[in-house]
Amino acid sequence: MKDLKTANAFVFNEEIDTNYLNSLYGDDYIYLQEVFGTVLQDYQSLTDNIEYSYSSGNLTALRSAVHKIKPVFGYVGLTAVQLQCQQFEQICGTVNSPDKLAGDFETLKNKIFQSRQVIEEEKKKLEIFNSNCS
Amino acid sequence: MTLSCIIVEDLQVAANYLKNCCEKSGQVEVRGHFSNVTDALSFLNSNTVDLIFLDVEMPGANGFELLDQIAFSPKVILTTAKSEYAYNAFQYNVSDYLMKPFTYQRFMEALQKIQPSRETISTNSASDHIYIKTDGKLIRLNNDSILYIESMGDYVKFVTVDNKKYITHNTIKNLEEKVSKEHFLKVHRSYIVNLHKIDDMRENLLFIKGNEIPVSKANKADVFRRLNIV
Repeated sequence: MKDLKTANAFVFNEEIDTNYLNSLYGDDYIYLQEVFGTVLQDYQSLTDNIEYSYSSGNLTALRSAVHKIKPVFGYVGLTAVQLQCQQFEQICGTVNSPDKLAGDFETLKNKIFQSRQVIEEEKKKLEIFNSNCS
Repeated sequence: MTLSCIIVEDLQVAANYLKNCCEKSGQVEVRGHFSNVTDALSFLNSNTVDLIFLDVEMPGANGFELLDQIAFSPKVILTTAKSEYAYNAFQYNVSDYLMKPFTYQRFMEALQKIQPSRETISTNSASDHIYIKTDGKLIRLNNDSILYIESMGDYVKFVTVDNKKYITHNTIKNLEEKVSKEHFLKVHRSYIVNLHKIDDMRENLLFIKGNEIPVSKANKADVFRRLNIV
């Protein structure tokens, strides 16, 4: 059953696009907690795949790996990171060597790492919020 | 009658979200979720479904290779994070193309595209949106974006989830006939509310995102019937 709560009761990290999340889940914070949990379960394998593709110099695989993680950020409202992945994917299509991506890759890698922390923190906040509401 | 479907998607959060949309719609039964083409093919070799929600880029074979190998022609809705497959989508005659993540409203629009060709599907499901004429133009409002509608004499005010207000020349009585019965209910001679947006109810008042909506005695029984009280 949909869990309706008072609007604005939960304050998201400022990096999270609250309006976008609301368009996906409404006020269903229980489900949101599930979403954040599911994303974290898959996060390591998705990021490992990116790292491995880059270190092995496989541009096609790297582009595909970044493409795969891209919508994950949308599901948790990190729309700016989603866009950053999109831009990186496009850059991948314009170069012929991973060396030419070094700077962009480092920036994206750091952003993806920071995003994990944001998702973990939001999940913890959601757990507390939902347990207080139940 | 509902549509049977499978979900072919290797991203767990996307598959779960899609399952949730299917369940919420009440129009689609998910017969299985497969994270690669091989497993999906194995299922489809001995089962048929009305609809496949299909990711394109997956480990191993891609989604279009699945369509090449199945022996029947289900409806297909692509779920992807890339907009570059439009040409293939056209070639494979897919019904719609959902960019992940998509909203529930967008999901329902995709389902609507499938339903007209299936005579077995009930035709009494109302549209998921309405158009209102305001400020000299027609504006589309999805049902899920509307909190409530309030009478203002010969006009009505639509209040939406993003706190916008649209005033148009109409009456509550007229709108009661036109809006989706699944979403909306007249609770007072001056108010129609979106049942999915009610936060709580106290005495003769409904609360929707901090707005107090009166419930008339005449409508109170209807309200209780429609709320999912456990």
